[in-house]
Amino acid sequence: MPDYQYEEKEDFSGRKVKVLGPTYEEGKPEEREDWRSKLGGREDALRYIRTAMRYWYSKEWYGSEKRKQEA
Amino acid sequence: MPEEKPKSIDRATLELIEKAGKDKINTVFSRADELKPCPIGVEESCCKICAMGPCRLPRPKKGEGKERVGVCGATIETIVARNFARKVAAGAAAHSDHAREVVQTFIKTARGEAQGFSIKDEMKLVAVALDFGIDVEGRETGDIARELGEKALNEFGKQEGELVYLGKAPLKRQELWRKLGTAPRGIDREIVEIMHRTHMGVDQDYRHLLQQASRAAIADGWGGSMISTDLQDIMFGTPVPVLGSINLGVLKEDNVNVVVHGHEPLLPELLVVASRDPEIRRLTESAGAKGINLAGMCCSANEVLMRHGIPCAGNFLQQELALVTGAVELMTVDVQCQMQGLKDVAECFHTRLITTSDRAMIEGAVHIEFHPEHGLDTAKRILKMAIENYPNRRHAVYIPDQRQDMVAGFSHETINYLLGGLFRASYRPLNDNIMNGRIRGVAGVVGCNNVRTTHDSAHIAMIKELIRNDVLVLTTGCAAMACGKEGLLTPEAAKLYAGSGLAEVCEAVGIPPVLHLGSCVDNSRILMAATAMVKEGGLGDDLSDLPAAGAAPEWMSEKAISIGQYFVASGIFTVFGTTWPTTGSEKVTRHLFEEYEELYKGMWAFEPDPLQAAQLMIRHIDKKRKALGIDKARDRVLFDMAMRRALD
Ligand code: SF4
Ligand code: SF4
Repeated sequence: MPDYQYEEKEDFSGRKVKVLGPTYEEGKPEEREDWRSKLGGREDALRYIRTAMRYWYSKEWYGSEKRKQEA
Repeated sequence: MPEEKPKSIDRATLELIEKAGKDKINTVFSRADELKPCPIGVEESCCKICAMGPCRLPRPKKGEGKERVGVCGATIETIVARNFARKVAAGAAAHSDHAREVVQTFIKTARGEAQGFSIKDEMKLVAVALDFGIDVEGRETGDIARELGEKALNEFGKQEGELVYLGKAPLKRQELWRKLGTAPRGIDREIVEIMHRTHMGVDQDYRHLLQQASRAAIADGWGGSMISTDLQDIMFGTPVPVLGSINLGVLKEDNVNVVVHGHEPLLPELLVVASRDPEIRRLTESAGAKGINLAGMCCSANEVLMRHGIPCAGNFLQQELALVTGAVELMTVDVQCQMQGLKDVAECFHTRLITTSDRAMIEGAVHIEFHPEHGLDTAKRILKMAIENYPNRRHAVYIPDQRQDMVAGFSHETINYLLGGLFRASYRPLNDNIMNGRIRGVAGVVGCNNVRTTHDSAHIAMIKELIRNDVLVLTTGCAAMACGKEGLLTPEAAKLYAGSGLAEVCEAVGIPPVLHLGSCVDNSRILMAATAMVKEGGLGDDLSDLPAAGAAPEWMSEKAISIGQYFVASGIFTVFGTTWPTTGSEKVTRHLFEEYEELYKGMWAFEPDPLQAAQLMIRHIDKKRKALGIDKARDRVLFDMAMRRALD
């Protein structure tokens, strides 16, 4: 288990709370992390497109554009 | 005597300007001292589109109520609007002709006729194919790519209907474009129509001229530029965050230095591949060099940085200075932003200047044309020339020691992933943090350098002011490189420069407060990120509802005007610095700065002081927050179990 660092910050009501500090590793990465390589074949890609990129590729999703009352 | 403005805020640049001065080498900086802008041209109060002119119509002296018209009777409004529309046409043409080259190479790649190229990003291929209504089920990759290439090519010459990508914009924006008659048909058609309408004696109503300017600009942002970005991503990979380095200190004394300059990433991609070829490595060693050091310049730099981590030598105003180091064996240039002055500077050293596009030659440079059919062979030939040139260095090499780490490669897809992870990818956390006030809003700060403004100074002053006020900045082009040099593109910059709310979010997600989204055509990625924010919900129904603004504080190219015009026509308030090309006509300026807010819900502004400009942007962001009812950070109610049960 890494030793997590905590910092004291204020929440919205001004109360002091302990929050988890930065969790990234020190130093420079040796290799770039390509998240796309975590997806398998075409099926995986299509599923990802329809969920993660639902803004354009899912028929059921239109975010606030679907609301009856305009913002 | 007025105090002389510093030429740059960057030490490496200043050192090499000084060296150029000592060596009596002319650069853009010395030429600008000798050549001041024409006071009539700067206001665009002149017309030379027919041989009865040129007609120069300077502002009348105070008290002189004289109406200004040309020999044909053209009013100053018509003249200024025509000049503005032509700038948009040229800018849109530049991005879109780049796109055409990409599409043609893409088709050859799909057919297996492009040496060294392949389809690298199948997910993006499938996504873009779906945009174009292409059936992807059970089909081979090459087959889908062929159909996509042909459909994309059709976007240029389409005579009727609308561009396919308009369908990706928020629904309200699409409706508005249709209502205003600015939904573009084919990309080429809109550009040609500007050239026709601005010919002598055609369209002579400034509002009508500027309506067509919007239509062509939208065809750039939501057409040509977007096609370039997407098809380049499919061929070379959608960018993901990568560690790179920037500034003239990336050049290496003991290496063969090759600088790739220009805009199209086609040949640069192959130069990266060829530089790893065993034969090239062997030749490099036998020439006595430790390796081949590829470095980028201008937008070519952004492209190879984002996809391969290739270092950036610098931005627009540093192009000649790279050669002044005496360490560059060869520089390739393709299209856009390459100064003709490069040739004279190259001649002072051993540097070989190579033009590579069939559309752009420079007198005195060596021309080696890139064709995708034998692209890899061409790349190797160019590298061999550079290696052969290594022993020919005739001057002492001077490389400033400035180089800075940076993180680039934030495509809108990657931002989506970083915010939510693989299984919950989403813009929700960004929207939530805007709604709760940790992030005040989002700004796109983009564009060039301009020698009339201290190099990089306006970018940096504006961006620091924005992030200090909790505005997340998305950047591209030479602005992005200025940020890189200043250290703003590292996660650590959040703690150093950002307001506490923005810094907290950046720390939690692990991103810098300024995100590098790519080259100039990649401003289309900013449009997509902003559209995702709208569609995610909670921040209104249109791009114009977002607490967002755009800026190009050091713009110089016509492409920047086209970009600004499509930002504005997409509903984004956009501020330009340095100079403004409609000051010759108050009516035209009022139309763009005020009446556009009624029409497009987004408008232009001009403010040469970058801090004042940042304040204008922040005021606009606050106005939008107020309209959304999120002007005060809302208290967040955390539900405990008892409250949850009560809900059930
Ligand atoms: S078109 Fe009219 S304003 Fe322009 S140069 Fe000819 S005469 Fe002069
Ligand atoms: S930002 Fe401007 S100067 Fe820089 S490469 Fe793009 S168009 Fe050229």
